Amino acid sequence: MLTIEKLKEYGADVEKGLSRCANNEALYLRLVRLCVGELSSCALGDALKAGDLEKAFDIAHKLKGGVSNLALTPLSAPILELTERLRAKTPENYEPLYNEIVKETAVLSALL
Amino acid sequence: MEKKTKFSVSEEKRRILLVEDDVINQEMLKESIGNVYELIIAETGEEALEIVRERFRTLSIILLDLNLPGVKGIEVLRRIKGDPAYAGLPVIVMTSDGEAEVECLTLGAVDFIPKPYPPSKVILARILRTVELYEDRDTIRWTERDHLTGLYNNDFFYHYADQLDLYHKDVPADAIVVDINHFHTVNDRYGKAYGDKVLKRIAENALRVINEIGGIACRCGPDTFLFYCPHRADHEDMLNKLSAKLEDDNPGENHVRLRMGVYSEVDKSLYVDRRFDRAKLAADSVKGNLANPIGFYDHSMHDAEVLEEQLIDDFPTAIKEKQFVVFYQPKFDVRGDEPVLISAEALVRWNHPELGMVSPGVFIPLFEKNGLIQTLDNYVWSETAAQIRDWKARFHVSVPVSVNVSRIDLFDPYLIDKLLDITEKNSLKTEELLLEITESAYTENAGVIVENVKQLRKLGFRIEMDDFGSGYSSLSMLSVLPIDALKLDMQFVRSAFRERKETRLLEAMIGLSHSFDVPTIAEGVETAEQVSALKAMGCDIIQGYYFSRPVPASEFERFVTEKQDNPVCA
Repeated sequence: MLTIEKLKEYGADVEKGLSRCANNEALYLRLVRLCVGELSSCALGDALKAGDLEKAFDIAHKLKGGVSNLALTPLSAPILELTERLRAKTPENYEPLYNEIVKETAVLSALL
Repeated sequence: MEKKTKFSVSEEKRRILLVEDDVINQEMLKESIGNVYELIIAETGEEALEIVRERFRTLSIILLDLNLPGVKGIEVLRRIKGDPAYAGLPVIVMTSDGEAEVECLTLGAVDFIPKPYPPSKVILARILRTVELYEDRDTIRWTERDHLTGLYNNDFFYHYADQLDLYHKDVPADAIVVDINHFHTVNDRYGKAYGDKVLKRIAENALRVINEIGGIACRCGPDTFLFYCPHRADHEDMLNKLSAKLEDDNPGENHVRLRMGVYSEVDKSLYVDRRFDRAKLAADSVKGNLANPIGFYDHSMHDAEVLEEQLIDDFPTAIKEKQFVVFYQPKFDVRGDEPVLISAEALVRWNHPELGMVSPGVFIPLFEKNGLIQTLDNYVWSETAAQIRDWKARFHVSVPVSVNVSRIDLFDPYLIDKLLDITEKNSLKTEELLLEITESAYTENAGVIVENVKQLRKLGFRIEMDDFGSGYSSLSMLSVLPIDALKLDMQFVRSAFRERKETRLLEAMIGLSHSFDVPTIAEGVETAEQVSALKAMGCDIIQGYYFSRPVPASEFERFVTEKQDNPVCA
């Protein structure tokens, strides 16, 4: 079961995340689970595979918002980088960066 | 615990439109501010614009994410701020994109909430502050403006005029009052909606004029506009511009005419409202003057104003110290071979300790305007009654004296009690105190006045209708009005003799009055020729300089003694 302690161990800046949820731990944990669900979706991977950079940007941008607000620090850097690269809409190999996100999501998912 | 009413604006949760497509962000904001505000959520730009269109009046603020599916946040902001109906809604933009801030501010965003969000309490504080500022601003906007015309209200106008003085103290300025002639008749004849339309058009013209020449304008009262602007010479041009196209619905007709009062190059040491009092005096000086609708405040007005203020200030002391002196002018019955003193008229003079003898022509109209006339009338009635009593006691002769009863007295519910009290205190019969009521009083609220006069006559008071021929005289009034004598207006009598042809009208009036058994009194008679002409016409009683000017009681006593010596004629 996901707990505040587990998230702290994972490397999330729990205090910051909680401060954005009016220190409501239950809400914070619920939103983290929701965020993991969105991260686990294949939508971003599918868009990247299909070369739909606009759609990929929209998805990445949205994920970045959730991850940043919840202060899931290990995920923040790769998602931020992916979003910024997609914003430029240059065709490149996004796979390594995407894989990093998948890997970090799997770690987080194991905490649920 | 005290039960709070739900039907209260202050108890109502303010409504916030949250435009955000991300559920996590939505939930965080709900937790941060949902206890204080009611959140309406839109997940797309289109949805947001629809909610704004339908519910903008009850929205306190919009929290807008920039990265939305469909219509982007920046476009939503542009459309809201581009529509005058919604432009006043405060929008706080939520973005992680620092570069978007300048564009959003230019478009009219009021604040930013960065992403990732600051702590909940920071978000709440920022929103509270913004809502508070905008509500204050709206309150000021509502109270500073006249709702119909959008011009300032006078309190704010005076305040802003003070501000203009602070920044432009060396610039000569004009205080200008613009009034609509007979505006109530415009409303009565064409309806309030039409009247409102005229007011709006004047306001539109006013704004154009102000844009052109500078300064500020306000609507002050139902049909009065004030302007405080840099001094200019051509006020006629300004009045023409203000009067332009007020009635294009009715070409060829001219229902609405403006008049203007100008206090030019104001004395800035005066309070602003005093400056406009002066402009108002100037505007009133051209009331009804269609040929010359612009009046200018000048020193004579200033002097008259100062004098009026002094007279009003000094009035209570004057009553207390009996500075008002009653003079008496005899009225002679000319029906016989020799004129016989029949009564007198009491005429008040003010023996002012500093100003000397003040003419009633100065203070009576002033006291009629501000209601002090009632106190003065009461004073004159008492003094006169005491004088009649004194003559009766010393000379054993009764000389009835007529006193003026002003229009305002006739609406006094205690009028009859007051008059009875005065006659009783002085042991007089009611017919010894004659009551002069001006002709014009009968034309206004005639019903009430006629009833009061009937009551007075029942009690034995005799009524003389004063100033007949000065106003809108209607000879038919004689058949219905309860009067005991008709006093022909002094100016009317004088002009009749100046222009010979008018004596026919005088003669007709006297004849008609006789046919109703109402005796006539001619005032202002100055020569022997006039006396014989009036006698020949059938006039009954004559008053005027030919017999005597108004004199103090002591001088009048010679007429009383004559009457005493000829009791047969009494």
